[in-house]
Amino acid sequence: MADDQTPRPSGDRDDVPSGAGQGWTALAYLIAGMGVWGFIGWLVDQWLDTGGIALGIGAVLGMAGGIILVVRRLGTPT
Amino acid sequence: MFGAANVLAQGEAAFPPSVEDFYLPGILPWGAENSYWFTKITAMVWLAVGVLIIFFLATYRKPQLVPTKKQWLAESIYGFVRNNIAVDMIGHAGVRFAPYFTTLFCFILLTNLFAIVPFFQISPNSHIAFPTILAVISYVLFIYAGIRHHGAGKFFKNSLIPPAPWYILPLLIPIEFASTFLFRPFTLAVRLFANMFAGHMILLVFTLGGFAMLNANAWLAPVSVLSWVMTVALTFLEFLVIVLQAYVFTVLTASYVQGSLADEH
Repeated sequence: MADDQTPRPSGDRDDVPSGAGQGWTALAYLIAGMGVWGFIGWLVDQWLDTGGIALGIGAVLGMAGGIILVVRRLGTPT
Repeated sequence: MFGAANVLAQGEAAFPPSVEDFYLPGILPWGAENSYWFTKITAMVWLAVGVLIIFFLATYRKPQLVPTKKQWLAESIYGFVRNNIAVDMIGHAGVRFAPYFTTLFCFILLTNLFAIVPFFQISPNSHIAFPTILAVISYVLFIYAGIRHHGAGKFFKNSLIPPAPWYILPLLIPIEFASTFLFRPFTLAVRLFANMFAGHMILLVFTLGGFAMLNANAWLAPVSVLSWVMTVALTFLEFLVIVLQAYVFTVLTASYVQGSLADEH
């Protein structure tokens, strides 16, 4: 037990990381996308007094961004 | 903890429970209100640290080739975290992080477990300060590990700039920044805190609710028994949540470390 502390050289990634991490990452991207651009939209709303239109646009854009990120980061296997 | 049952039996306990119930009177000075230098929470954290140190020192002191029962337990815990969390999520490079993950897992599991151990019955993690510090440690760890592995420039480029055409980058970079550097520590802390807070609150509601109904009306006595039966059932649910949250916290930390070590996909 004491002698297995030394890791093999890093970059030696012969086993694929489990799906759980990828699942959490995907969820985080989708929520973060909506949250971040929704917030930016809300700020624009406060600034220009557009009554929620900018927030809606921001949230939809953010969703799209989140989906693009999931596809780009997780969709294509290395 | 002290004389709580008497208070309940006399019908003096306030119902519904509030956030105030999470702020226990101080131990030093004894019984002081609004003095949080040394409370039951502090005592439990120190106890958890002490128990873990003594347990692992004692069990690993004279390792046998054929493990004793205690050694088997300690090795199973470490082996579980190392193989099923560190190596599973990160790969062989993850063995380096296994000691930290094991410490994290054991500490969270034990402090969470105080929520349902008789006479302790509140988890330190139901105060956001403790999950916050744990999340900050994990946050610093995964950023540091990434910078060590890639160098600062490449690490931030990897984690902020996704492989995508340049014209959608302005849309994606803020999302990447927020999800990696703002939401990760926040959700890590809040997930653990909220679960333990809600668990304690639910047990309080059902326990105190039973007393409240008993004191309010004799006809409600059977319902108050039902309420206490629910408390027992929810304690088992709470046990599930306790183990799950300790596991999830560790797995997510491992996942973040994996993300910062990963080469560009």
